[in-house]
Amino acid sequence: MKALFSPRFNQLALPGALLALIVLTVLAAPLLPLADPVKQMVNQRLAAPSPGHLLGQDEYGRDVLSRIIWGGRVSLTVSFLAAFCAGVIGTLLGLVGGYFRGIVELMSVRLAEVILCFPPMLLALLVVTLLGPGAVTLVLVLTILFTPAYARVAYAETLSARTLDYVTAQTALGATSSRVLFRTVLPNIAPPLLVQFSLTVAAAMMLESGLSFLGLGVVPPSPSWGLMIRAARSVMEQAPLLLLWPCLALAGTVLLLNVFCDRLRDVLDPRGAAVGVIPAFLRKSRAAALPQATTEPAPGLVRIDNLTLSLKTPAGPIKVVRNVSFGIAPGETVALVGESGSGKTLTALAVMGLLPPVITPVDGSIRFTRRDGTVSDLLQLPEADMRRLRGNDLSIVFQDPSSSLNPVHRCGKQVAEAILAHGGGSARKARDRVVELFRRVGLPDPARRANAFPHELSGGQKQRVMIAAAVANTPRLLIADEPTTALDVTVQAQILDLLAELKSGAETSGMGLLFVTHNLAVVRQIADRVVVMYAGEIVEEGPVGEVFAHPRHPYTAALLASAPESEAEELAAIPGTVPSPAALPPGCHFAPRCALSTQACATAHPDAVEVGPGRTARCIRPMEVA
Amino acid sequence: MLAFTLRRTAIALVLVWLVATLVFMVIHLIPGDPAELLLSQGGVAPDPAAVAELRERLGLDLPLYTQYLNYWAGLFRGDFGVSLQDEHPVASEIALRLPRTLELIGAAAVIALSVGLPFGTMAALKPGGRLDRIASLIAGISLSVPVFVVGTLAILVFAQKLGWVSAGGYVALAQDPVRHFILLLMPASTIAVGLGAVVFRVTRSAVLEVLGRDHVRAAQARGVRPRLIILRHVLRNALSPVLTVVALHLGSLLGGTVLVEYVFNWPGLSGYLVRSVEARDYPEVLGIVLSISVLFVFLNLLVDLAYAALDPRVRHA
Repeated sequence: MKALFSPRFNQLALPGALLALIVLTVLAAPLLPLADPVKQMVNQRLAAPSPGHLLGQDEYGRDVLSRIIWGGRVSLTVSFLAAFCAGVIGTLLGLVGGYFRGIVELMSVRLAEVILCFPPMLLALLVVTLLGPGAVTLVLVLTILFTPAYARVAYAETLSARTLDYVTAQTALGATSSRVLFRTVLPNIAPPLLVQFSLTVAAAMMLESGLSFLGLGVVPPSPSWGLMIRAARSVMEQAPLLLLWPCLALAGTVLLLNVFCDRLRDVLDPRGAAVGVIPAFLRKSRAAALPQATTEPAPGLVRIDNLTLSLKTPAGPIKVVRNVSFGIAPGETVALVGESGSGKTLTALAVMGLLPPVITPVDGSIRFTRRDGTVSDLLQLPEADMRRLRGNDLSIVFQDPSSSLNPVHRCGKQVAEAILAHGGGSARKARDRVVELFRRVGLPDPARRANAFPHELSGGQKQRVMIAAAVANTPRLLIADEPTTALDVTVQAQILDLLAELKSGAETSGMGLLFVTHNLAVVRQIADRVVVMYAGEIVEEGPVGEVFAHPRHPYTAALLASAPESEAEELAAIPGTVPSPAALPPGCHFAPRCALSTQACATAHPDAVEVGPGRTARCIRPMEVA
Repeated sequence: MLAFTLRRTAIALVLVWLVATLVFMVIHLIPGDPAELLLSQGGVAPDPAAVAELRERLGLDLPLYTQYLNYWAGLFRGDFGVSLQDEHPVASEIALRLPRTLELIGAAAVIALSVGLPFGTMAALKPGGRLDRIASLIAGISLSVPVFVVGTLAILVFAQKLGWVSAGGYVALAQDPVRHFILLLMPASTIAVGLGAVVFRVTRSAVLEVLGRDHVRAAQARGVRPRLIILRHVLRNALSPVLTVVALHLGSLLGGTVLVEYVFNWPGLSGYLVRSVEARDYPEVLGIVLSISVLFVFLNLLVDLAYAALDPRVRHA
């Protein structure tokens, strides 16, 4: 009921009020001071509008305004009645079919669906042939036609409602089927049925007016919008307005109903109103307001300095990643570690220039040394230049190989894209190279795998395909964003071995690897250095062996203690959760969850301090961490 | 793909049997004596002699199973019975008119797709932009105006006021190809107004949805050129939902031809149907409804096959 007071509800007000006005007008037709809609005045045929006849008179001298209102009464009555009857019958069929399933479903929902095998207009005409035209036939025909739609909606909704916990609970408590159906299930599925009702009224009006227009619906002299358009056609040369009024009335009412229905759907189901994500390649400009580009040579392969990322929200921008600085040397493997929401994936995406549109870099630089030795700030590069780097000098392997491969294209073709996008020669040469790459990443029968569609491969094989695409152009830096999280444990180890093997291979020697993960066991196995992130900033950095042996930040220590692979006697979960970036605790962001926190921790935000050669920690008491 | 095609064709044939049987049954399912119903006008009881004669002509006096067998025997011979009005064989009239209706539907689909697909894509690439807002508004209005209103107003404007084309009619392709296509243009465009709006809407939402998928980002990460990403990884994937929804609208599309053929005097199958319903010529109506319903089943089969061609996962389902 809350939805009724939301701002979305206000959108319903205007079409709703106009619809109510139309319905009230046609209902009040007998009370309004209108001329007789069927009284002919042949001497005044096609008369222009006059005080007595505001919209003029038709080809028999009948008052047009009066006929529009009375015609609307017929059209709306037929449509509402049919929508209502179809609603009652269809909902019952759907409820019963969805609740009892089995043979009942066959006899109710599936039987009603047979009607959908016919184009609706044809079925209507078939029935009109047998019964003759008229308002009663119309209601009957429209009811038959729209019943299956309701039955389907009610059926689908009942299916999902009957599995809800409290419905199951009621059945278990011994409530009768009819009680469960009408008291519990029906109120639950009412919103979509309401939407269906307004949809049906609009569709019924279209069909009713169509049949009347053909002379097979409402029988003259009763006025109806369809009939009026039919009659006005013959005199449209002399009196085009006569055609226009019923057309406007009909189209306007249907339009109002449709708008009302759209808005109703938005109010009842706000999820449908969500707008999709527009990827970066469609945006012309990348970085908006960043400080001057830094082009001094980067120490090593890539150097990130003061990277700050801002998320656009309705409540204003929030800095989700703050002052992140670290570097990767050629041939080095750096692990970026943290819980979900720590900002580790965003940092990786920022390097690739693949941030979602709601997140923009607002400060910092990412200096990258290309294959030819030139250095550029990736945050400042235009999109076209960035594209030339992606999949070439810079590559990434994503978390979920199943969704990262396009299901409609063969695996080999998708890997070949990476080669061809960077001037890899002919399509033939690219194909040979793909087979070679597939062999290299350990895919059995590489020629056949290249011809396979993604759904024909296992998860591990798909990730091997993604890795093949990533290393196709022997990148300088390979980013692996939780590449094993979506895979089986046994497959995880194989993928890690593959990455390690690729790094030591002659072809990709000197390749830097940025490994994003929350799995500490993996870090120990693969990385040279580790960067620990918490709540959008780096809390500790250093060589893997030293950090694991002597963590200098309580968060790192807690992470190590909570990892199942740790040597600790007992596993210790970290109390609390990662704070929301919109409500960071003042002082040290980890203080509320920290066992060692003191008064001072809650007041001042600590800086990263050097705690050893090549080691930093963001803690005021780094040496007290055990 | 072959197994899939065979299976789908088998299902379609079952549906054809079902539809044909249902069409046969309609006259018997309606309460009351069919011959009496057909002859009654405005509640006036018909002449018993006439009823008896009609009953015999339609074979309604035979046992139901004999009627059913005769009906199928007729269908296999391509015999749909003769018109009640002039004894003209229904099948030959259908054979003459069906291609014209198909041509109209085909032309309408081509126009609707060639307008709806590109505009839907462009709107989705810049959601909330000027093009998106204007096109969405036009589509919303197009969906609300009944097809016969569009047709009638088109005649009023383009034929009566501007005099660019004649109000309707038909010239055989062999007789005058240019005039044939000019006359085809207005009815086809009329059907395309609503259908194009549907295609636009589905394309827009499908493209928007696909743009947010992981594989698009992955293609981007490989450095694929933007234009190729849109064609290969966005539009190609968005076509499946577009096809599904267009298929859902096939029924109302075929219904729309009834009105449009009537409005523009297009001598297709559907216009013929209106005349038959007016005359309550049962064999004619039965034959036409049967042909269009079977056509409907086969168009759906085509859509299913196209769907499988677009998405390799479907073929194995």
